[in-house]
Amino acid sequence: MPQNEVVQDLGLDEYKYHFITEDEPVFRSGRGLNEKVVREISAQKDEPQWMLDFRLKALEIYNSKPMPTWGGDLSNLENVLEDIFFYVRPQDKMEHSWDDVPPNIKETFERLGIPEAEQKVLAGVGAQYESEMVYHSLKKEWDDKGVIFDSIEDGLKNHPELFREYFGTVIPAADNKFSAMNAAVWSGGSFVYIPKGVELDTPLQAYFRVNQEQMGQFERTLIIAEEGSKAHYIEGCTAPVYSTESFHSGVIEIVVKPGAHFRYTTIQNWSNNMYNLVTQRAMVHENATMEWLDGNLGSKLTMKYPSCYLMGEGAHGSVLSIAYSGDGQHQDTGGKVVHAAPNTTSQIVSKSISKGTGRSTYRGLCQVHEGATNAKSNVECDALLINETSRTDTYPYIEIEEKKSNIGHEATVSKVGDEQLFYLMSRGMSEEEAMALIVRGFIEPIAKLLPLEYAVELNRLIELEMEGSVG
Amino acid sequence: MEGVTDALNADAVQSLASGAPEWLQNRRLDAWATYERTPMPSTRLEEWRYTDLSRLLELDSLEPLPWSKRTFDRASAPASLDAALEADREASGRVVELDGSVAHVELDADLAEKGVRLLSLRDAVEEIPEVLERRLATEALPATDGKFQALNAALWQDGIVLVVPRGVRMEDPIRVTRHVSRTGQAIFSRVLIVAEPGSQVSFVDEIVSEDLEEQTLFSSAVEIFAEDAAQVQYVSLQRMGRGAFHLAQQRTIAGKDSTLDTLNVTMGASISRLDLNARLMGPGANSDMLGLCFGDGDQHFDHNTSQDHDAPHTHSDLLYKGALDDRARSVFRGIIRVAKGSQQTDAYQTNRNLLLSEHARADSLPNLEIEADDVRCSHGATVGQLDQDHLFYLMSRGLSRPQAERLVVIGFLGEVLQRLPLGGVVEKVSRGIEEKLNG
Amino acid sequence: MSDAPILSIRNLHAKVADEDIEILHGVDLDLNKGEIHAIMGPNGSGKSTLAKLLAGHPGYEVTDGTVTYKGEDVLELEPDERSQAGIFLAFQYPVEVPGVSIANFLRTALQARLDEGEEIDLFDFQDQLMSAMEVLEMDPAFAERPVNDGFSGGEKKRNEILQMAMLKPTLALMDETDSGLDIDALQVVAEGVNRLSEENPEMTVLIITHYQRLLNYIKPDHVHVMVKGRIVRSGGPEVAEALESEGYEEFRTVGA
Repeated sequence: MPQNEVVQDLGLDEYKYHFITEDEPVFRSGRGLNEKVVREISAQKDEPQWMLDFRLKALEIYNSKPMPTWGGDLSNLENVLEDIFFYVRPQDKMEHSWDDVPPNIKETFERLGIPEAEQKVLAGVGAQYESEMVYHSLKKEWDDKGVIFDSIEDGLKNHPELFREYFGTVIPAADNKFSAMNAAVWSGGSFVYIPKGVELDTPLQAYFRVNQEQMGQFERTLIIAEEGSKAHYIEGCTAPVYSTESFHSGVIEIVVKPGAHFRYTTIQNWSNNMYNLVTQRAMVHENATMEWLDGNLGSKLTMKYPSCYLMGEGAHGSVLSIAYSGDGQHQDTGGKVVHAAPNTTSQIVSKSISKGTGRSTYRGLCQVHEGATNAKSNVECDALLINETSRTDTYPYIEIEEKKSNIGHEATVSKVGDEQLFYLMSRGMSEEEAMALIVRGFIEPIAKLLPLEYAVELNRLIELEMEGSVG
Repeated sequence: MEGVTDALNADAVQSLASGAPEWLQNRRLDAWATYERTPMPSTRLEEWRYTDLSRLLELDSLEPLPWSKRTFDRASAPASLDAALEADREASGRVVELDGSVAHVELDADLAEKGVRLLSLRDAVEEIPEVLERRLATEALPATDGKFQALNAALWQDGIVLVVPRGVRMEDPIRVTRHVSRTGQAIFSRVLIVAEPGSQVSFVDEIVSEDLEEQTLFSSAVEIFAEDAAQVQYVSLQRMGRGAFHLAQQRTIAGKDSTLDTLNVTMGASISRLDLNARLMGPGANSDMLGLCFGDGDQHFDHNTSQDHDAPHTHSDLLYKGALDDRARSVFRGIIRVAKGSQQTDAYQTNRNLLLSEHARADSLPNLEIEADDVRCSHGATVGQLDQDHLFYLMSRGLSRPQAERLVVIGFLGEVLQRLPLGGVVEKVSRGIEEKLNG
Repeated sequence: MSDAPILSIRNLHAKVADEDIEILHGVDLDLNKGEIHAIMGPNGSGKSTLAKLLAGHPGYEVTDGTVTYKGEDVLELEPDERSQAGIFLAFQYPVEVPGVSIANFLRTALQARLDEGEEIDLFDFQDQLMSAMEVLEMDPAFAERPVNDGFSGGEKKRNEILQMAMLKPTLALMDETDSGLDIDALQVVAEGVNRLSEENPEMTVLIITHYQRLLNYIKPDHVHVMVKGRIVRSGGPEVAEALESEGYEEFRTVGA
């Protein structure tokens, strides 16, 4: 099958982030998840009692919930979870200057292009290595305006009241098995506060790296965008490829206050032996806008459905996602929108490419509560299949209790057409160019929204990798 | 052993099985064993997520209705049955079933001469056992398919069998009219249609009743085989009264180059659940799957459809539409499955819903599972209210608001009927919609 | 019957419903029985709004002024009541009504005009429909096609004139009927309107248009120029000719 080879040449399968940094963590929990590990994590972080109680309660909830039977294949996950380290502390404290970050860790991030990007185009950068944030900094002008961009641990220490008011309110521990797990063992992640009316003109970026073999990363991010504020947060994720499976389970909570505008972009390129089970949710208030931009390229299995709860009149939510599933990968992704107030609008656009034995699943929910009059929602899912062995599934749930609403869902499945290829080649393009053009055209509606001008990471993954392979 | 009650139990199966040929005895008893060990579907199952049987199905109060010899007398037919027959048009054959027992069968003499068989399931056991032994609750709807498939396979009291021999083409449809009058009963009936290669047949299966005081279960298991190049149309018209719980399981098996189309019209009953699985087994097979429902009051309709493409060059196209008034609720859950190797498949699925009242509700879950790459598949679902521009346009031509609304609803649902314009059906359904719109 | 105007508009102010955007800022206009009027104006002048408002479109709200039709206030009437009273709007963008055939649609509309218990004569109806379609050079098979569903722009406009022929209005409002029509289709449509006008000399016609083109085929008695929600000039056919050569520029300042 020549098309297969062509896509091979596109370089999407090639994983550029496989390098292992030799280092010795300062602390590591025992393997597996139990009360002792939870208490150790809490003690290491010197947390207040309420947080320890919260963690222990969450552990109980985790133990009481069954493994999900839907979604991806989690049959081996229990074995994986018995073997991994739930907490690995790479250094003693977090730094605010790259010069103070230990050289081996700093080098890791340099290879990923982070410090360079920070200087050029970012308002602030956070970097997490294993279980802890090792670096966090924010440009002075934003600091002066009262913006908080800190590790989640420092958020808890330095802004205890603000923290406690919102923590766990958007995604309670009991939301699902993995949110409970995260609530019990969370470590690292960002605490972000954008004061009223402040508009950041460049993004904040957090970078997540797992280096150790057999570890679990459980970052937790809490973002509060006050009235009329505007900001964009980007996260990128990579890990080296080990022969054993690793685990990442984040929880992202966002509160978007009236009139605020928040965009959260993820470019996930975990190595393809990573289980990536993430819960992301935003509470969107009156006339506020929340946008999730989700790129899932890596991991063995990702289960992730960013959601918008449209709580206030005129709120808008959107989830735009691209998934790429190569051999052995399963991207089970999508989005959820809940319309709980009148005149709310939402949009979900999902594009997936499945190649080899890859499998892409769209799973989504659009719910309109009675009384949410004039709600409008539009869902579009398009899947591109490259090979005979590729697979795609679409599972939308549409639940409408309000007559005065307008809801649509459309999905298509297609392959790269021979006619299409021929047409382009008859105009002088090579098969590779034609294929690349078609694949790029397919994801273009979403790719064009990604902040290409900023993020080194995105450039590499979306544009350069595809173009660079074309001879 | 969930679902075993004072009335629905092994004794009931035993009494039906006794005296039957051995294969049939075994089939009933095996089915019952399957029923006993299969848990009652709960809302934890995807397929039953929106229909909570523990709340909606009063199994404990249902008595299985024993078969009885019934004769049909048009003069004393109850109103709903009389009206249904009155509106019928030309037919190749007719069947009347009363409370689950076939009371009348007639077939065009020419067709009978050509070898067409139209008979009650009970008679078929005597007359064409080889067909039943091969096809009844085996390939299409075996007991192992699910709790209710098993229950029906164990407890059926009667049903209708149609065999159309090779190459025989029937101009006019077979028209079946069923009537239910016994309240508080559970009726289990089956349909088996075998269209041999190159044959052609349409089958209209209508069920009516007056309102029923206590919950009355009508379980219908429909198995249809279209062999190579056969053409089959199956239409189900469900216009039961309130109190009825209509539970229909249908499976269609389409062979090479065959066409096997279905239309399910759901207007009546308090609760209606349809499981329809279309299997495209031979290259070139084609199935159009049409459905429309119109709910009012507190009616609860649940449609669960699947399109299985198990051969290359197969085509299926599903269109289900629902209009919902008052507190009515509809669920559509559909799935297209394209198996590995089923290349050059076209599969489409569309579900559209119109909410006419503040309290109506529609849930739609159009799913796809695609394991072949050279396919064209799409699905779409919409839920909306009456379009204000439509209404204004019609009112600007002099129609009152209710008239305009009615026209839009009829047009909305009518699109489904236009795709399968079978004599008599369009008129009946249109009239049914009108009646509901007039409240 | 006195010689009072069939339609009389006084100081009409209107805005988009649910929004505070006023579009008509005091329109005055009188149309007499049997006259053909044209309102011309640039895009956004409010001329289409006026047409839709007269037919009772729910998207607009009258904030001041009166509209009197046959001596009665029509602003309180529902769109269907206006239609039954003889007002007809040929839409600029005719709406698709899937699943409802043209014949069924027109039969229902005509039936709605009859008193309870009266039935339209289906044979008469069919004859009328077929002859009206013939005039408009429409294929008889069109009668069974769903209203406007999948129609080309020209087919939709012909269908509007067909409805006008069947419903026989007293006052026909033609909203940009010429838009999207090629010259052949335009001639057929214009001929259809002229013929209706001849058959029914008492019918009053108000043509809304951006261009003079249609007025080469349907000769208006009076031409009005509308700019920014007001009528800024009225006169005979010469006004349209002047516009054709000079454009709307000179009026923009007048209307400001």
